[in-house]
Amino acid sequence: MQAKRPWIQYVILVIYALIVILPLLNLVFLSFKDLAGIAQHPFGPPATWHWSNYAQAWTDGNLLTYLVNTAIVSVLSVFIILLFSSAAAYVLARFEFRGNQLIYLTFLAGLALPIQMIAIPLFILMKHLNLLDHLLSVVLVYSASGLSFSVFLLVNFIRSVPRDLEEAAFLDGANHWQVYIRVILPLIRPSLTTVGLLNFIHSWNGFFFPLILLSNPEHMTVAVGVLSFIGEYATQWNLLLPALVIVMLPTIIVFVIASRQFIRNMTAGAIKI
Amino acid sequence: MKRRNRLVMIGFLGPAVILYVTFIVYPFLSSLRYSLYNWNGVGPLTNFIGLKNFSYILFSRDFSPQFWNAVVHNLYFFVLSMVLTTIAGLGLAYVLMSIHERPSRWFQVIYFIPMVVPPIVIAYLWSMYLEPNFGAIPTILRALHLNALDVPYLGSHALALPTIAVISAWAGMGFPILIFLAAFISVPEELFDAAKVDGAGRWRTFFSVVFPVIRPTFLSVMTLNFVGAFGTFDYIYIMEGTQAGPDYATDVLGTLFYRTAFGGFGTTAQGVGLATALAVLGFLIVMIASAILVFLQKRAAVNL
Repeated sequence: MQAKRPWIQYVILVIYALIVILPLLNLVFLSFKDLAGIAQHPFGPPATWHWSNYAQAWTDGNLLTYLVNTAIVSVLSVFIILLFSSAAAYVLARFEFRGNQLIYLTFLAGLALPIQMIAIPLFILMKHLNLLDHLLSVVLVYSASGLSFSVFLLVNFIRSVPRDLEEAAFLDGANHWQVYIRVILPLIRPSLTTVGLLNFIHSWNGFFFPLILLSNPEHMTVAVGVLSFIGEYATQWNLLLPALVIVMLPTIIVFVIASRQFIRNMTAGAIKI
Repeated sequence: MKRRNRLVMIGFLGPAVILYVTFIVYPFLSSLRYSLYNWNGVGPLTNFIGLKNFSYILFSRDFSPQFWNAVVHNLYFFVLSMVLTTIAGLGLAYVLMSIHERPSRWFQVIYFIPMVVPPIVIAYLWSMYLEPNFGAIPTILRALHLNALDVPYLGSHALALPTIAVISAWAGMGFPILIFLAAFISVPEELFDAAKVDGAGRWRTFFSVVFPVIRPTFLSVMTLNFVGAFGTFDYIYIMEGTQAGPDYATDVLGTLFYRTAFGGFGTTAQGVGLATALAVLGFLIVMIASAILVFLQKRAAVNL
């Protein structure tokens, strides 16, 4: 479908792109200015680039600890979600047994559950398990809550694919495990990468559960750790802004690297809702 | 063979089910139970009070105004985000569909970027830009002599909530854009050709050909927005604090729940029983709304 005046469309798209990008780009510019520069020139690139802002924010802000903790949480959560949900989805999509529909619907119901709503029992449960103030508590919550979306997508995806390949593999003498590894996993790879990226971002940026489950700064993730940094250095914007840039860079980098495939998968219907 | 199948099933399904039941289903059932007790979170559950927590939240003179205040704000958040998602999300996706694929992909990547930025950064960034004295936005407004618009957006009773809803929509627009775009792409080319043959213009084509096909997707996005609006917490907590200022003008179920359960600046926790009852009510609202929307979606999909 081609339009009569394509330039109008580009004008609209570029304007929105600027609305999206300029506030973030300006944050990067501001983070290189000194205090007076931030207050007097709230826009545009700095006259002199104060790299020392970054050096000081890095050492004062305990940022390395937060980044490592957050990476542990995100990577572990994504790994658990992809492994558990793909195996479960294979069974739910391909095996007929009593309770199949019930299990599927129970996973599905989790999509409508605002997760904060179960915060108190989770807090108490973590206390009993001796996991309070332990990164593993956050990993478990994100893994469990991420399963709903992932199982839902993967079951529908597998169901939409004909069984021919699997049946051929069974005829060749493969067992379920081999079929799962050699046929199912390659088949659902686009959905897996998409689900993996979305969950990575979600657990990296997660705020509520680290806030209530973690307390020791040594165990904190970036989203909450930076908040205490903000409380402490309230007016020292020349230190806060570099910290914010450092915190937002990892997800942006991961996304940009994965973006080609992610966008292609999304528009090709890897996420059908 | 049968027994081996059973073992495979348990081995494949077991880990996911155990994890999900332990950390989602069991806590959810516990929530239902706690909500029937007067309990402060320590010691045994002994003081069973039936539905008193619920009647206290819904009807009491002390608590119910706070509850309804928060629910109205959640609904407001939903409506505003739906309006913005429809205008900007649907509109941009429609425009994206009509340009060449390569530039379209670049725009899609850019539009998705705020979605991957942590809420803490987004919230702080906009607090800074809106800061009344030397924030970027007041500075621009003053330079343009638009003094009438130079108001404390986050400190104003009337403007704080819409401002945060707009910021939240700005941050979250990437996802609906991609979902809508995928739906547009799946509209069969013949429909467009048929519309052209019938002499339908652009708007006409959109409303009578394209929109009916993507209506199920539209309802899905609506469901996501509803769940999102009723789960709103991060931005309000970070930008307005646990008191959801100014004077509770931005209080939502999430912040009310947080104060009731854990206390917060200047308040004390009011008990776990009451807070979980609040959580259960929030869940019921979302569940009923989602059920209605999913029902409408199924009907829309059948009528295609």
